[in-house]
Amino acid sequence: MLMTNLTALLKLRFPAAVIREGDETLQVGSFPEWDSLANFDFLMSVEERFNVRFSVDEMAELKSLADVTKALRAQGVNE
Amino acid sequence: MPDSQAWSPVLELGPSDFGSYGDWPQALLSQTTSALVWVLFLEDVISPDSVLKPGGADSEGLLQSLLAPLALRLQRISAPVVVAWSAARPGSPIGEARAPSPWRQLTRKLSDDLYDLAARHSNLYVIPLDDVLQEGRRTTFDARNYYAARCRLSRQGLAATAQAIASVLNRVRLAAKKLLVLDCDNTLWGGIIGEAGLSGLVLGGDGMGKAFADFQRAVVRCSRNGVMLAIASKNNAPDVLDVFERHPGMVLNRDDIVSFKVNWDDKPSNITAIANELDLGLDSFVFWDDNPMEREQMRLALPLVTTLEVPNDVTIWPAMLDSLDLFTKFVVTGEDVAKTKQYKNRSAFLAQKIAVTDEEQFLCSIAMRPGLHALGASTLARASQLCEKTNQFNLRTIRHSAASLAALGKTCGDCAFLVSLSDRFGDHGIVGLVIAIPAGQVAFLDTLLLSCRVLGRRLEGWMLDQLVAALRRQGCRWLVAQFIPSGRNAVAAGFLSKYEMTQAIPDSMPADAELRKTVARASGGGTIYFADLDSFKVPHLKVFSSC
Repeated sequence: MLMTNLTALLKLRFPAAVIREGDETLQVGSFPEWDSLANFDFLMSVEERFNVRFSVDEMAELKSLADVTKALRAQGVNE
Repeated sequence: MPDSQAWSPVLELGPSDFGSYGDWPQALLSQTTSALVWVLFLEDVISPDSVLKPGGADSEGLLQSLLAPLALRLQRISAPVVVAWSAARPGSPIGEARAPSPWRQLTRKLSDDLYDLAARHSNLYVIPLDDVLQEGRRTTFDARNYYAARCRLSRQGLAATAQAIASVLNRVRLAAKKLLVLDCDNTLWGGIIGEAGLSGLVLGGDGMGKAFADFQRAVVRCSRNGVMLAIASKNNAPDVLDVFERHPGMVLNRDDIVSFKVNWDDKPSNITAIANELDLGLDSFVFWDDNPMEREQMRLALPLVTTLEVPNDVTIWPAMLDSLDLFTKFVVTGEDVAKTKQYKNRSAFLAQKIAVTDEEQFLCSIAMRPGLHALGASTLARASQLCEKTNQFNLRTIRHSAASLAALGKTCGDCAFLVSLSDRFGDHGIVGLVIAIPAGQVAFLDTLLLSCRVLGRRLEGWMLDQLVAALRRQGCRWLVAQFIPSGRNAVAAGFLSKYEMTQAIPDSMPADAELRKTVARASGGGTIYFADLDSFKVPHLKVFSSC
């Protein structure tokens, strides 16, 4: 469920990219538009959607859907 | 934060380009004839320390340097420029109970100067973001975003900023609305005249009666600013006119209304009739009605009319109407002209004091002071951070680790160094890294990178000049450099040729064997350049001397 929601957010942020459902390996650089600044923007939309807050370090280190999933679980998000 | 969804109000207006962080002088000095938006956080450009320190800074001079590129652009190019600026920073209003802090004084002066400029140039629009971001500093600013991405704002802050900019640009592009069409029952007064009668209406006095009266006062203010008023009400006409003439709480007069449509016809037909009477386009109409059914009908029948989503809570209405920007006109009236003249007399600001005519003079005026720092224990962390993060001005984009940098620092000596920069606007810290690996007579430029914060200041030229001096001290004759395109470093592509290094073409290169070997060994594709240090002179460095 969490992956489905994250994939949806990712598609919203990168409408032109080809994004496979539920692919945890998707990460910064998987397609050209997903650079570090766009990733920052994506992480902000994740924060908004799941009502969580990442630290400065997390904003720099969460680079793949797997990373984000793990960080969300750590904050008790399972939806 | 380019291309964020938060910017969509602006992006929807048409194709947009985002400049790099800190790139404002170049953007303003460029020749582009598109509309230009400058989002200025004063604290990013002028370090508060330099203003707040004892003795204070030369704030007049600081602001002159800050505004010189803007003034120049406004003189040269007539396309709109929007300056959305914020001077917000933490401070104690209590501590300023007796006198404003130097920061507040600077802020005020900047505000005055911007409006002085606006009085002189009809293409300048000023947005004080500190007033726009009313959602509160706590929700619109985000320190985490600043430290992680040099973005002062939260998503909400970005979105509010974008909304304000889009509103201004829309007001420039689209004509202002001219006519406000109002309902009567439960809009101009509380209650229904046909049922409650004159004495039963809620209007005037305290409580909700005051809210309706205040809404009418806001309507009158609109009318004074040139907005025409019309009434569209489903009622018996004599009842409504009776309220206008005899109710003691009425603020609006009959004469304020250019057209009464009080009947039992549907409102879209009435509005079409008003449009024909006054020979106005429907797109200059704004419709205010408390009844959601009427609003929905209007939206469906006449989409060109702006139908406002009016909240149920009438107490919000007066402020909502006052802050509505649909009627804002940017045209100059006789009165505005008179005001402009006052401004001109009062301030002899830019016209005389600023003699900046091009980028070179601007760069001279900001008194840049670059500094050299050896690549060693105390600078390794910053150096590896720069290697990791710098994507734009980076000749070869080699991501050195701290360990490999430590080794390079030892091997290369003076030919590996970091560069800091301070100028009138404050201290930018360490912003650049140069690593050249000397081998005999030839040195290979392994890394030359510059943080995007200080692009466009010719600091890269100064770095090259320092390197050339160090290489000469080591007895090197040749410098070989390489540009490898990474997809994101286009900004560095022209650097080596702009600073007059020679492109290495095997047939026409000097015969020096060591030089040819180094050129041949450079891998990774891209373009290779060299310079003969016996005669090479780095150009464009005047801006670093006193001029």
